[in-house]
Amino acid sequence: MGVMVSIEGLYDGMSMNMIDRTKRSDSGEISLYANKYRLEHVIKYRISDADKKVLALQKITGVTEALYRLEVDGLAQTARKSKPSILLGIDLDDEKKFGKFEEFLKEGELDFGKNSAFIGGGLAKKLKVKIGSKVIFTAQDSQNEIKSIALRIRAIIRSSNINFDERALYIPRGEAARFLSVKQNSATQIALRTDETHTPTLQTTLQAKYPKLSVYTFAQLYPQLQQMQTMMDVFNTITFMIVMIVVFIGILGVMYVSILDRIREFGILLSIGYAYRYIRYQIMIEALLLGLAGYFLGLFVGLLILSYLTYQGLDLTLFAEGMEAFGMSSVIYASIKSSYFISTLFAIIIASLLSVVLPLRKIKKLNPVEVIRSAG
Amino acid sequence: MIQLKGVNKYFYQGEPREVHALRDIDLTIEKGEFSVISGTSGCGKTTLLNAIGVLDSISDGEIILDGKEIANLSAEAKTEIRLHEIGFVFQAYNLVPVLTAEENIGLIMRMQGFDDAQISQRVREIATLLQIDDKLDSLPNLLSGGQQQRVAVARAVASKPKIILADEPTANLDSSNSKALMNMMQTLNEKEGVTILFASHDNYVVESVRRIIRLDDGALVT
Repeated sequence: MGVMVSIEGLYDGMSMNMIDRTKRSDSGEISLYANKYRLEHVIKYRISDADKKVLALQKITGVTEALYRLEVDGLAQTARKSKPSILLGIDLDDEKKFGKFEEFLKEGELDFGKNSAFIGGGLAKKLKVKIGSKVIFTAQDSQNEIKSIALRIRAIIRSSNINFDERALYIPRGEAARFLSVKQNSATQIALRTDETHTPTLQTTLQAKYPKLSVYTFAQLYPQLQQMQTMMDVFNTITFMIVMIVVFIGILGVMYVSILDRIREFGILLSIGYAYRYIRYQIMIEALLLGLAGYFLGLFVGLLILSYLTYQGLDLTLFAEGMEAFGMSSVIYASIKSSYFISTLFAIIIASLLSVVLPLRKIKKLNPVEVIRSAG
Repeated sequence: MIQLKGVNKYFYQGEPREVHALRDIDLTIEKGEFSVISGTSGCGKTTLLNAIGVLDSISDGEIILDGKEIANLSAEAKTEIRLHEIGFVFQAYNLVPVLTAEENIGLIMRMQGFDDAQISQRVREIATLLQIDDKLDSLPNLLSGGQQQRVAVARAVASKPKIILADEPTANLDSSNSKALMNMMQTLNEKEGVTILFASHDNYVVESVRRIIRLDDGALVT
């Protein structure tokens, strides 16, 4: 059982970690875009007065953090390579509050100097750039002019969000606005961190409040991650069922042998007037105690393993490249949910009780006279 | 009162190896009787005793205990009758191997809900009478055949049942213990009106009782 809850914790931890990092690095629980922006992805469809909107949004019940970003598609080039990429105008302090951006730093330092940028780890690799390298980013501004900006790399970012790790160049939001010839308070996205319980109602409320904006939840923006979590739940259910079948067979085996061993005793008890129902209770209690003893031992072992995996994580740095390609962190932290232990407790109680059905049938069919005769 | 009407018992009924163990038994045992079922080995004494004690089913006929037909009751109801009405002494003792002699003797009383003090007092009383008071802490496998037999007798009588059914109760006892057992049974029978039915071919037992029920090849000999 200890191993089972650890696997459950790791599976859940893996998917929750990916979801968490994606929310922190991009969407939050809810994101607002100018209508049509998500379809056409051009700066023409931008949000104006984003700063005022963010201030207003922060006052809404259920919203814990809010920020705005300015994003444009373009081409990042070095002397030897060029790759399609995005330029993301961010406010570093806002990002730190919104999604602990500092935790995504892989190399370099989180400090925008003049004409400097951070780069996603995957893009850095594709362009073969290091800290201090120069990158030219070219894009079309709001006036449809082709413009370029020379940037020196100050930091490499690994958010585990493939969208950004493979494509993003981060610069200060003000510089991005100047580069795109838009007002300083323009944005392509407003992202919100919300209390999860408020998310569905907030979406409806915000959509009504801002009809010119499109309001999306995380699940709508990243359906594949939501799907992955469902898949992990299925894996967990399958693992859970396999372990419970093993538990069932284990208890059944122990109880069956134990009952066969004492069949004469039960025959004697029945012959002198001990009611079958008391034998049934006795055996059920024995099976429950057996199951619960295993449960508490498993609970202890499981909590130990899970605590370690929650705080230290499972370090898979050896496979970091492959895992990061899938948007996963190379250190997987497990999650601990009370549901692992509660559902296991109920399953063990059910397995324990079911495991005595067959042995009890044997006792019920027992003819005390045969036991008495054979005892002679 | 126990009444048997047209009781038949077949083993392997309908098979080539069918055995007609009890043949049209009509028998009445009055309340407070002290009787013995006597007959040669294999004549059906134990089968008849088991049938009366609703331990074994019968093929046809009726067994009536105090005016109530008991042969066709549910297993649960038969268990209740065995617990509250009947004390058994089995030929093979049938003590619970994991319980001490004291626990075995007090087992039925415990099932009936007596408290520890009552059980302890009664167990010591009976154990002293049957001279096994120094063996109360022993497990059955540490007792001789005779001692086990006395523990089995003590278990059957401890709860003061209305009926005591005993299958060869003196088979493993020496003469002095047989005498002590018979004296105790007679006391129970005379003072407390307990109906006692033995299956035995021990002459001492046969001579000590008031009524002898003779069986021959499963049939009553009149």
